Amino acid sequence: MTVRRLRIQCPHCGVRAIEEFLHGEIPTIPERVVDPDARDLDRAFMHTNAEGLVTERWFHAMGCRRWLTLTRDTRTNDIPERTTSYPPS
Amino acid sequence: MRALERMLFTRVVATPAAIDRAVWPTGALVLRIAQDEVLAAGTVDLGAVPDQHAIVEPETAFCGAWVDHKSGIQFLEHACDWELPAERPAFAQGAVAGIPVKVWFEAERILFLVPVPFVIDFAERWS
Amino acid sequence: MNEFVERLVDLRWPDHVRPSYDVVIIGGGGHGLATAYYLATRHGITNVAVIEKGYIGSGNSGRNTTIIRANYGIPEAVRFYQHSLEMYGQLEQETGRDLMHATKGLLWIAHSEAGVRQERARAEINTAFGSRTEYVDVKTISEICPQLDMTGQGVWPIYGASYHPAGASARHDRVVWAYAEGAMRLGVHVHQRTTVTGFLRDGDRVTGVQTTAGPIGGGLVVSAVGGHVTTLASMVGLRLPIRTHQLQAFVTNRYAQAFGPIVASSGLGVYVSQTAKGEMLVGAEVDRAPAYAYDSGHSFLRSCAFRSIALLPFLRDLRVLRQWTGVCDMSTDYSPVMGFTGVPNLLVTTGWGTWGFKAIPAGGEQMAALIATGRTPPLIAPFALERFANDRTMADRGSAGTH
Ligand SMILES: [Zn+2]
Repeated sequence: MTVRRLRIQCPHCGVRAIEEFLHGEIPTIPERVVDPDARDLDRAFMHTNAEGLVTERWFHAMGCRRWLTLTRDTRTNDIPERTTSYPPS
Repeated sequence: MRALERMLFTRVVATPAAIDRAVWPTGALVLRIAQDEVLAAGTVDLGAVPDQHAIVEPETAFCGAWVDHKSGIQFLEHACDWELPAERPAFAQGAVAGIPVKVWFEAERILFLVPVPFVIDFAERWS
Repeated sequence: MNEFVERLVDLRWPDHVRPSYDVVIIGGGGHGLATAYYLATRHGITNVAVIEKGYIGSGNSGRNTTIIRANYGIPEAVRFYQHSLEMYGQLEQETGRDLMHATKGLLWIAHSEAGVRQERARAEINTAFGSRTEYVDVKTISEICPQLDMTGQGVWPIYGASYHPAGASARHDRVVWAYAEGAMRLGVHVHQRTTVTGFLRDGDRVTGVQTTAGPIGGGLVVSAVGGHVTTLASMVGLRLPIRTHQLQAFVTNRYAQAFGPIVASSGLGVYVSQTAKGEMLVGAEVDRAPAYAYDSGHSFLRSCAFRSIALLPFLRDLRVLRQWTGVCDMSTDYSPVMGFTGVPNLLVTTGWGTWGFKAIPAGGEQMAALIATGRTPPLIAPFALERFANDRTMADRGSAGTH
């Protein structure tokens, strides 16, 4: 059993425990799904469910209440701090 | 701690550049809660924010209490797992005893701002 | 597999890997082994391999919280889980093994008027489709479970509950071993410590699996994998409506009194039962961010303990003995996905989310029938993968959130 404390670096508020944040979606429609019906089906129901690095949104619910974008490894929950950023404007 | 009392703020949402250039009332408490958002104590004139799309609205959803510096720090050291700012004055926000709290640090005293729905819980966890 | 287990069950491990089998099942958990067992016992299909990357039951079959119930929210699910619950009731007799099966009754608590409506609806729909559930008032709830704080510590008052008398539990690894024993006795090969690394293809068709023990041909290949099924499916370009989430649970030290029922609360996102050893078992909802990690967190313990104490104040005086994490394949509509995939000769049984253990007997039996006959049995036809393309989703979130 590994017990760890997961943290996210908020660009505005600083380093905070992951429990201050809400998880957003991981958008994952593969490029190769080109047929419009297949894309709709995929968007509505299917998931890549990647084992490895995913780029995703988190909402700093207990701090600045802004969405940020970061990269997380779904195999370990590791978050390399330097990848954290606000979404591109 | 003294009872938390309802405080009147103005919430300003504008471009980060406009917030940087805005003219706030002299000596007013201005909390930069996000790059594009400020909570300013009291009322703020719309014209003070140089952004034609700025949102300037009264905000009454927070209760606050000032405490002396020493007891404020004592409480925070037990109630947060994040690093407290070293400089003064300073603003910080995050989970304090599991509650989303905004904290304003001055040299002699500290202001705790708590969203109204959490006021009772916060007071309980303070004691 | 330790000596104790070797004495407990007669596991006849194969001494070689055949070049090919009629059916290759990926995943030696409850669902994979039950499918093999029913193929062998019900259909005489014994040229079957189960490929397991660790040891049997070492994945999420060994990490679940072992609750058996059928009080789901849609007719198709009530019928399926009721059948599974009845099969569990006969499983000790069928396998000749003590599975520590115990009927306990399950209380599903409502903390609001909306919750009361939901539990009343659950009682009606369960009873209408063959699984008895009744709505019970506060007085009856205290009789069934006197330890409950009816005020919910003043914050989560109990308004009512649905009561599912057939709610039960069984020992998870004994279920896995019993199915493995029965399947292997009839000649099924279970290959442990063998990882599937890819598929053998002939055009579109899947013709077997590539493994760390070499290629293994298969007339049909069935994925009964927990946790990594989307990765496996992506190797043949198959997209699945699955996301994998962590679910954490803990047990306390022994509670001296007998604690009869299983108690669940959607409002608080916890469920509590007592193990055969007297420990209190507390589980939560899945974590929101998809992940495959088995790490556990202190913040989970804190919040889950806080919420369970709101229901059952005596838990305050107990100590946490151990804590663990499993991963749950949550389907987009919170119902399982069983059957054909559109990729010729590849079948799946997945989407077992937080509700996989209770479905092992019926899931295995029905998948075996599908494999043996080539036709989808009516009981699981609603849970085919094609339902998503056909706008026939089996939305049942309210039944599946926690346990
Ligand atoms: Zn922030």
